[in-house]
Amino acid sequence: MSKRIIVIGYGNPSRSDDGLGWHAAKRLSEEISSSQLEILTLHQLTPDLAEPLSRAARVVFIDASVEGEPATLRFRSVGPGGPPPSAFGHHLTPDTLIALSGVLYGRAPEAFAFSVTGVSFDFGDTLSPGVEAVLPLMIEQVRECLEGGP
Amino acid sequence: MSKNIVIEPISRIEGHGKVTIMLDDMGKVSDARFHVTQYRGFEKFCEGRPYTEMPSIVERICGICPISHSLASAKACDAVLGVRLPRAAAKIRRLLNCGEFIQSHALSFFHLSSPDLLLGFDSDPSKRNIIGLIQANPDLAKDGIRLRQIGGHIVEWLGKKRVHPAWVVPGGVNEPLSEEHRDMMLAEVPDALAIIQRTLDLFKDSMEKYREEIRTFGNFPSLFMGLVNEQGNWDVTDGLLRVIDAKGHIVADMVDPSKYQDLIGEAVEPFSFLKSPYYKPLGYPDGMYRVGPAARLNVCNGMGSPLADQEWAEFRDLERGPVMSSFHNHYARLIEVLACVELMRSLLNDPEILSPHVRSFAQPNHYEGVGCVEAPRGTLIHHYRVDENGLMTWANLIVATGHNNLAMNRSVLQVAKRFVKGDTVPEGALNRVEAVIRAYDPCLSCSTHALGQMPLHVELVGPDGRLLHEVKRG
Repeated sequence: MSKRIIVIGYGNPSRSDDGLGWHAAKRLSEEISSSQLEILTLHQLTPDLAEPLSRAARVVFIDASVEGEPATLRFRSVGPGGPPPSAFGHHLTPDTLIALSGVLYGRAPEAFAFSVTGVSFDFGDTLSPGVEAVLPLMIEQVRECLEGGP
Repeated sequence: MSKNIVIEPISRIEGHGKVTIMLDDMGKVSDARFHVTQYRGFEKFCEGRPYTEMPSIVERICGICPISHSLASAKACDAVLGVRLPRAAAKIRRLLNCGEFIQSHALSFFHLSSPDLLLGFDSDPSKRNIIGLIQANPDLAKDGIRLRQIGGHIVEWLGKKRVHPAWVVPGGVNEPLSEEHRDMMLAEVPDALAIIQRTLDLFKDSMEKYREEIRTFGNFPSLFMGLVNEQGNWDVTDGLLRVIDAKGHIVADMVDPSKYQDLIGEAVEPFSFLKSPYYKPLGYPDGMYRVGPAARLNVCNGMGSPLADQEWAEFRDLERGPVMSSFHNHYARLIEVLACVELMRSLLNDPEILSPHVRSFAQPNHYEGVGCVEAPRGTLIHHYRVDENGLMTWANLIVATGHNNLAMNRSVLQVAKRFVKGDTVPEGALNRVEAVIRAYDPCLSCSTHALGQMPLHVELVGPDGRLLHEVKRG
């Protein structure tokens, strides 16, 4: 996993909208083919990712959110200057992970996070109609981000 | 006036729980309860599914220990088929379980518990996390990451996926181990050995600092249960059940896991979705027993590999009988990682591990099957019944955290009695209540996770339900 750009779609694909990252990753894999891009799907962010991420030029995180208005798309920069790390460690935030890359391996990649506020987190492997409707716009923005934006 | 202190949710464990501490009229702790507030219903909603889907379905119970569920499930399905596993398949399954133990124990020790151990139970909670750990000891943090990576590589290189690989199947595994991956795994062994040996040295050197926690973190007499092989040695993938009492006497031995219901009863309490299994001959709740790393080291005659055997002997020297304090689960985890690395090396050096014959095929020959493995957190039992078409009609799962439920409740009470005084909970006491639960590394199962921080919420509630005192930290 030493490619220049890494996309991480994470969440629980068995809990409807929590699988947003997995759905987005699948869509991106179908649309983009590049030897410089690696797309991962994970349930949660764990510390062992810090080392491979330190070798990437850019990292994009995609996850569902429970905060804010349902089906709202959000985008933010991730990194040591972002929100403070979680006080608890059973899964890591993107910011903590990027901070780990910087502190432990001497290099924190440029990183961004896309999220959509979930409507349903019930058992199921499909997105709710509200989140499904936002997915194309998010994919478009992720693609722009991968191509060098924003 | 009696009062309740509620701690919700418990942090740095998998899933979400809550603790209620009851105070008596004098303001002293009278009782404590550990509640599991999630309800998953896996046993019910797998009814009607083909048994062949079960190893993949049950992997979804957890994102941290899915391999244990798939192995226990596949073993239950092996019993339904009535097949004998090809020898290479049995060895590869053991190798896979080593990978899971290494990555799960690494996460538990280095990233969930080390902040407490290294920075101190009374240290500033805003720094008592993985970033604080890195600032205090970056090399330890790096070792933890590297060890978890090595465990993850074994799982990924065997199953082609790091989480939820659909690779363990009824009758064996999907694909043989390639020579290339065998060599890649062998190349990681020296690094893994060096890391775990220096971590063991570090832990043992610092043990004196935790004297009070060792004395009070689940330090009470109980039964212990775990799997052992036919020689009575540590065995986390196959083996037979052994139960010992608080003095170390074997009270049940070489019990085929399919007979688990002769040993274990299951009680239900209204305050928790987690079942409360107990050792049947002693009844409920006297039949409280513990499983997991320290329990496994207590029940076995040895680890079956040279370096781990030396460490095991030192561990067992801590007490004249079984090692009672659940705090020593941390120590036992490190010894188990060492044993897994040695076992991994031995399996990989066995030429049979590359055999292409890794699966036995059959139609169901039995309507019932039980599968049992040791998961990182303790004994895991899957029990299935199927109809003549191979569709699931009934399932019973007893997970490690369930086996430990009674002991965790008892441990929380012990810590609360020692550290909680009056009607507020000081930070250090609060952290110790959480830490004693973390010593069991309970897996309440990962379900929906969300962006944002998990707050710690403490409520002091009077008998009339009125909120008397509240503490929050983000």
